[in-house]
Amino acid sequence: MSELTVTDQTVPREAAPPLRGTGQLLAAQVRYQMLLLVRNPRGMMLSLVFPVLLLVLSSVRRHPDPRLEDALVAGLAAFGVIATAYISHAIGLVTSRQDGVLRRWRATPLPTWCFFAGRIAATALLALASVAIAVAAGAGLYHVHLTGAAALSLLVIFALGALAWAALGTAVTALVPTAQSAGPVLMLTYLPVILFSGGLGSVSAEPGWLATLARYLPAQPVISSATAALNHAGPGLTLISGHNLAVLAAWAAAGVLASLLFFRWDPARPRHAPRR
Amino acid sequence: MIAIEVEHLVKRFGAFAAVEDVSFDVPAGQVAAVLGPNGAGKTTTIEVLEGFLAPSTGAVRVLGADPRQGGRAGRARKARTGLVLQTTSLDMQLTVAEAVSLYAGLFPRPMAPAELIEMIDLAGDAGTRIGALSGGQRRRVDLGLGIIGRPEVLFLDEPTTGLDPEARRELWAVIQSLVAAGTTVLLTTHYIEEAQRLADRVIVLAEGRVVADAAPDQLRARGGTPVIRYRLPPGVSAGDLPADLARRVDPQRRELSLPSADLTADLEALVAWARRSRADLTGLEVSPPSLEDAYLSLTSESPCLN
Repeated sequence: MSELTVTDQTVPREAAPPLRGTGQLLAAQVRYQMLLLVRNPRGMMLSLVFPVLLLVLSSVRRHPDPRLEDALVAGLAAFGVIATAYISHAIGLVTSRQDGVLRRWRATPLPTWCFFAGRIAATALLALASVAIAVAAGAGLYHVHLTGAAALSLLVIFALGALAWAALGTAVTALVPTAQSAGPVLMLTYLPVILFSGGLGSVSAEPGWLATLARYLPAQPVISSATAALNHAGPGLTLISGHNLAVLAAWAAAGVLASLLFFRWDPARPRHAPRR
Repeated sequence: MIAIEVEHLVKRFGAFAAVEDVSFDVPAGQVAAVLGPNGAGKTTTIEVLEGFLAPSTGAVRVLGADPRQGGRAGRARKARTGLVLQTTSLDMQLTVAEAVSLYAGLFPRPMAPAELIEMIDLAGDAGTRIGALSGGQRRRVDLGLGIIGRPEVLFLDEPTTGLDPEARRELWAVIQSLVAAGTTVLLTTHYIEEAQRLADRVIVLAEGRVVADAAPDQLRARGGTPVIRYRLPPGVSAGDLPADLARRVDPQRRELSLPSADLTADLEALVAWARRSRADLTGLEVSPPSLEDAYLSLTSESPCLN
């Protein structure tokens, strides 16, 4: 090891320079979190490759109604968004917690909100990239016609969906003890919701009660809004219905509140026996 | 100036008291080592000082403030402290250079990333992902991230556990250069040699309490005694020695090993016997008390010596 010395440390401590600006810190966090996400092969497979693969496999079957094709593309785009914002995001947090990385961040001058904002912004950006890829694949494989207005509507819908699911993913880490158990716990909550909400194809034959339940879960509002945006042929934006917006906002608020109350920076401590 | 203050710290987890009543101060610029067996309360104490745990009762202050203080003042204090956790805490997907630059960007007056990477001897691996480094190299990255902000106070929780002797010495060299520049260091360790090499002062914990707090030399003198060793020459048996000495002979090794509270008297007795018996004293050794002996004696008895 080199014999370097830290001579600059003798600078007078009284004249402490100001802390770094939060804009600069946030930009660095987004870049850092993006690097972690794109260097995670399992997450990239789930977010970017699976939706396209499922679209390719589904294209073997002919869909008589173009609106069903719009629904399929919207559903699989939502599948990728939610996989990124919920599963990859939450597994990443649990792994960082288990590895002591969260603890290290907590001890730095980085504001807590900046850490989460950076992480969620990077997650949302990757989620939107997965939408772009899925919709492009849909346009190539199906009769999906994407107008500029529809693209903008999709951007808003999926960004809102990603934020709501990222809030839920943050909250659910409190229930996941280890990185090894994160996959099963998250998949058990994710797959039924995405399946009954039409993320993997039409749900027209669902019983009424299940369809009603799905309308109040956080996947169906994203899928139905995105389907409406793709169906919409006019020049204007497709507005998200009040119901869908309210459901997403409620789930996002619940996720944020639960995160504030229950989020853990450290792994669970082992139990100790009382000292003699 | 006092950099670290601990006043009657108690930390309980349910019915378990990890720390029962610990008090000490560390003046600025001092290196204090906290020694103790597993479960003594070392890591809990340092975690309270790092702000990760709240005391059950008692108080701690780092650079004059509560380490759990939030807001802008809390951020400013965090910018003046560094830490190395007990286990490696790194993002394996980042390269060494990316991690160092990222953390440098958090502090108001960081070391230059290239300078730090050189200092931790990883210039040749700056572009390597941390996940591909050896355990010793990762530990050096850990230390690098702990000191990138030029901390005034540095917490090191068993920084060299699991490292080979060479890697340990390399890490010591980095820590010593920080100490030379005036950084206050509180380290926990299992290694007596590490405490002896780095620390101005040793605080020994046992069962959640301070059982000794002194400079290494004082502690050695206080808790340990010199040892007289003498291998019996051929033709001499333990029974030939005076009874007090004979009891301390290991019959297998044919060696006298006598911890001596009164060195002069014990040597006089041995020399007098040798003169009478015309025994050869070649190989007679007197070993000074070791810090390890003192530590073992303290942690096995754990009476308060302060």
